[in-house]
Amino acid sequence: MANKKKKKNQVPVRLNILFLFVFILFSLLILRLGTIQIVQGEKYEQKTEQTENVVAKSSAPRGKMYDRQGRVVVDNKPTYTLTYIRSQNTDPSERLETAKVLADYIEKETDKLTERDLKDYWILTREEEAKAKLSEEEWEKLEDKKAYRLQLDRITEQDLNQITEPELEVAAIKREMDTGYALTSQVIKEGLTAKEMAVISEHLASLPGVDIKMSAEREYPFGDTLNPIFGNLGPIQRASKDFYVSRGYDLNDLVGKSFLEQQYEELLRGQKTKTKFITDKSGEPIGNPETIQGKRGNDLVLTVDMELQQGVEKIIEKNIREEAYRYQVHSAYAIMMNPKTGEVLAMAGKEKDGKGGFIDKPYGTVYNAYEMGSAVKGASVLTGYNLGVISPGSVLVDTPLYIGETRKKSYTSNGMGPINDLTALERSSNVYMFRIAMRAAGFDYVPHKKGGTWNPDAYGEVRRNFAQFGLGVKTGIDVPNESVGYNGGIQQIGNLMDMMIGQFDTYTPLQMVQYISTIANGGKRMEPHLVKSVREPTNGDGLSNSIVYQNEPRVLNHVEMKQSWIERVQQGLYQVVHGSRGTARRYFEGADYVAAGKTGTAQSNDNYNLTLVGYAPYDDPEVAFAVAVPDVNGEAAINKHIGREILDLYFELKKSGSKMNLNDEKMDEEKAS
Amino acid sequence: MTDSTDKISDKIDYNLAFLLFLMFCVSCISIFSAQTNGQYEDNFLLKQIMWYFVGTVVLVATMIFDLEQLRKLSWYFYGFGNFLLVLLIFTPERFAPTINGAKSWFVVPGAGSLQPSEIVKVCLILVLSNVIVSHNSKIFDKTIKSDLLLILKMLGFTMVPIMLVMMQPDLGTSLVMLAIFAFMLLMSGVAWRLLVLLYSSVALIGFGLILMIIKIPEFVEGTLGVKEYQLGRIYSWLDPENYEGPEAYQLNKALLAIGSGKIYGKGYQDGSVYLPENHTDFIIGNIGEEFGFLGISIVLTLFFLLIYRIIRIALEIDDPFGSFICAGVIAMITFHVFQNVGMAIGLVPITGIPLPFISYGGSSLLGSMFAMGLVFNVKFRTRKYMFSAND
Repeated sequence: MANKKKKKNQVPVRLNILFLFVFILFSLLILRLGTIQIVQGEKYEQKTEQTENVVAKSSAPRGKMYDRQGRVVVDNKPTYTLTYIRSQNTDPSERLETAKVLADYIEKETDKLTERDLKDYWILTREEEAKAKLSEEEWEKLEDKKAYRLQLDRITEQDLNQITEPELEVAAIKREMDTGYALTSQVIKEGLTAKEMAVISEHLASLPGVDIKMSAEREYPFGDTLNPIFGNLGPIQRASKDFYVSRGYDLNDLVGKSFLEQQYEELLRGQKTKTKFITDKSGEPIGNPETIQGKRGNDLVLTVDMELQQGVEKIIEKNIREEAYRYQVHSAYAIMMNPKTGEVLAMAGKEKDGKGGFIDKPYGTVYNAYEMGSAVKGASVLTGYNLGVISPGSVLVDTPLYIGETRKKSYTSNGMGPINDLTALERSSNVYMFRIAMRAAGFDYVPHKKGGTWNPDAYGEVRRNFAQFGLGVKTGIDVPNESVGYNGGIQQIGNLMDMMIGQFDTYTPLQMVQYISTIANGGKRMEPHLVKSVREPTNGDGLSNSIVYQNEPRVLNHVEMKQSWIERVQQGLYQVVHGSRGTARRYFEGADYVAAGKTGTAQSNDNYNLTLVGYAPYDDPEVAFAVAVPDVNGEAAINKHIGREILDLYFELKKSGSKMNLNDEKMDEEKAS
Repeated sequence: MTDSTDKISDKIDYNLAFLLFLMFCVSCISIFSAQTNGQYEDNFLLKQIMWYFVGTVVLVATMIFDLEQLRKLSWYFYGFGNFLLVLLIFTPERFAPTINGAKSWFVVPGAGSLQPSEIVKVCLILVLSNVIVSHNSKIFDKTIKSDLLLILKMLGFTMVPIMLVMMQPDLGTSLVMLAIFAFMLLMSGVAWRLLVLLYSSVALIGFGLILMIIKIPEFVEGTLGVKEYQLGRIYSWLDPENYEGPEAYQLNKALLAIGSGKIYGKGYQDGSVYLPENHTDFIIGNIGEEFGFLGISIVLTLFFLLIYRIIRIALEIDDPFGSFICAGVIAMITFHVFQNVGMAIGLVPITGIPLPFISYGGSSLLGSMFAMGLVFNVKFRTRKYMFSAND
């Protein structure tokens, strides 16, 4: 009972303490509010007067984009805009005078005019008649606003018909001048002609508030080539308004919405010229406005070579056309990269549009993932070494396997017999890879036997090894939201075996080129990028020498495997192209460079994904590539043809003087000379 | 032991009801002003009035159960609330979109949205009250061990919703729940020594962290693995004028709006500072600009009176369960007000939580009205004993 008493008593005491605590917190708030609103109130009040509503801005053009040879690929087409800044107390009749003058100088569309605009104009220009619309009594009785409304109501069709054709233009100009807030820049006409420019510039001094501003539209000297990768500009969406406003944008600015324009928005955006007005209480500007000169955005130098890009696109289109009928090829993708630096030299994708032309889909190399087939086997063999289930030179027997009822085999009908790792790559043995998978999972293979134990952890181990080459993970390319492909999860032992021959998880062409580059590069996984450097803007044409930002080659990871193993697989890939039974041998005969690579044919549904990855020259790789031709109705050779042709093109361009691996210093010299 | 009165009308706390009505007026006035600034197109005022109506229904519905029933029901409320939070995680983006970086809302297109965490806070109050009462009724000899056990139990029940809310992620609501825990722990009867030890060590850690962020940011970023943008809140709080970022932008705008309101404000609808979210989380900026120091003081006084009334109710009732509920509701309101107003004037870092009863927002209002329903209920069940007057 005593205990109960004690319990009861502690509640009021503690409630009081709690209340004291609440009191302290509220006091803190009041104290701080007092400091801000009473002590510093004056300071904040002055600040609002200074900073709100008194800055007029005019936009500055965005930066341009150049290809690696210094050719302009995204340009600005200057457009001239007639603007008007209304001070807070101008009279409507003053504006009417200005509009009349302007109407003489420029052509202005009148189709935006509404009936209300016309009525306003009628009242302003026909004072006497407008006044007569209302009786003396009504004028006396009604408030200004109501009287005006009544005037508007009583204007007839006939009255409006008095307005002549030239007057319509004046009304249209005045309409633009009247919209918007005071001291903000209003557009009267976009895209002034040279003649209009000349005459207005001459009379600018006598036109208060009127100005000509230069802005820019994007222009693409290479037409559609690679166009989607450059990205689009668009207005700021409502949802991201605060994000942009807090970074100094205005709500009517255009911002990068996709790909490079979006990725490099911060660097590409121009800095606006700001004109600061100091105003008195009524909002009338006092004295001369202070101007802060803006500047154009920074220029991007891309890693892409436009000549190569154009060539690759043509090669893809040609090959699709050739096989479109026989094999129903509808699309193909190819990407080329410098394996040592990660610079993307060309990325192209084409899809038939059904009307005899093609849709440009270079982004398919980043976003579309496919089962890539045997092209991944380089990674499979290295995974086998790394898990310790095979070692260089291991001989395994290629003979059809029976996992329960399922028959799994290589392309030759009865198997290749005992083969080593090199031959397995050269002839693209599936069974060799299957056996690696079975060993990795500790699967005790007995032909035709159903069930059997195996360790599902092998899925994770294989994927972890593949990921070291970039398969199944982000490559780190500098475009937004790249795809990582589809991860099939953990399924049967048979699926694990399929994963080793590229028929389970899916990968993007970009991941494939990163993977083959990693092998070509001796185990260094490079981050691919499209932008080589960012330069300060120049006033005239051409590139500036001062570099704002340089995309240095970045090693994402070193493959945790022995150098000798990687060299062993390189040798296997060499055999694919040069070995007596190499699967790519006859397609690369007579090439004047030494290539290595791996072909792939993945069966998906009834069709095939045909792929090819490779690099050249074998002993000192400077270009790696990946080709993917999805959903082909039959085992065509289009992948190998594309691969051969784009490599030929690369070396041809290199020989003909196009400096493919031109570095920045050289380019600067060229520009300077 | 005879009841002095049994009439229903005498057991309703009219003072409290009147305070709520004043809150309603303040809310309508300031939301109307905020929406005329033209930042948003919705008619928030109309929606808020509708939500107040729904909220009142919730409030009355809460009073149907007596305290004993509420105690039993508290488990179901708590379970259901946490279930909603879990459900939120698995709901596809279409019905639970990520808004302002947090997946906190169920949205039924065309019908409206619900933020379950606003309701879960109140459920937490119920469950903690129940836990404390059950614990204290079983333990007769209070020892350090039994106290520690109680702390652990309470902490356990608090951490479940906090973890679920942090997955959204919503720091503000998690802090509210922590505050509820802290206040109710104070009430729970745990020995002072333990409390002092606990609170002061938490305060010390917090203080130490902030000091570390100021003095050795490299260490915090490098060794503790905190990313720079996560420290943005702290930097923009300490130095809003020189730190660029969305939080600093909001704080600067809020300071500008409130500061330039001075003592008497610029006058109704005469605010000129563009302040994002000035009908929800930053509504105090709108009030401060248009009604000045005086206006905010009146609003804060309303809250203070509200809390004072709740304390009175908590003191009057003889059932500890009721007192604990009141303490929890006080904790919730106090923390909301302190955090919301404090962040707008740079007293505490910015975390997005609304000003109860005033900010626009259906879920927040429903949660608050639910909580007030509990308080009304406590008052409703309080019997006045003839001989307990001079206790």
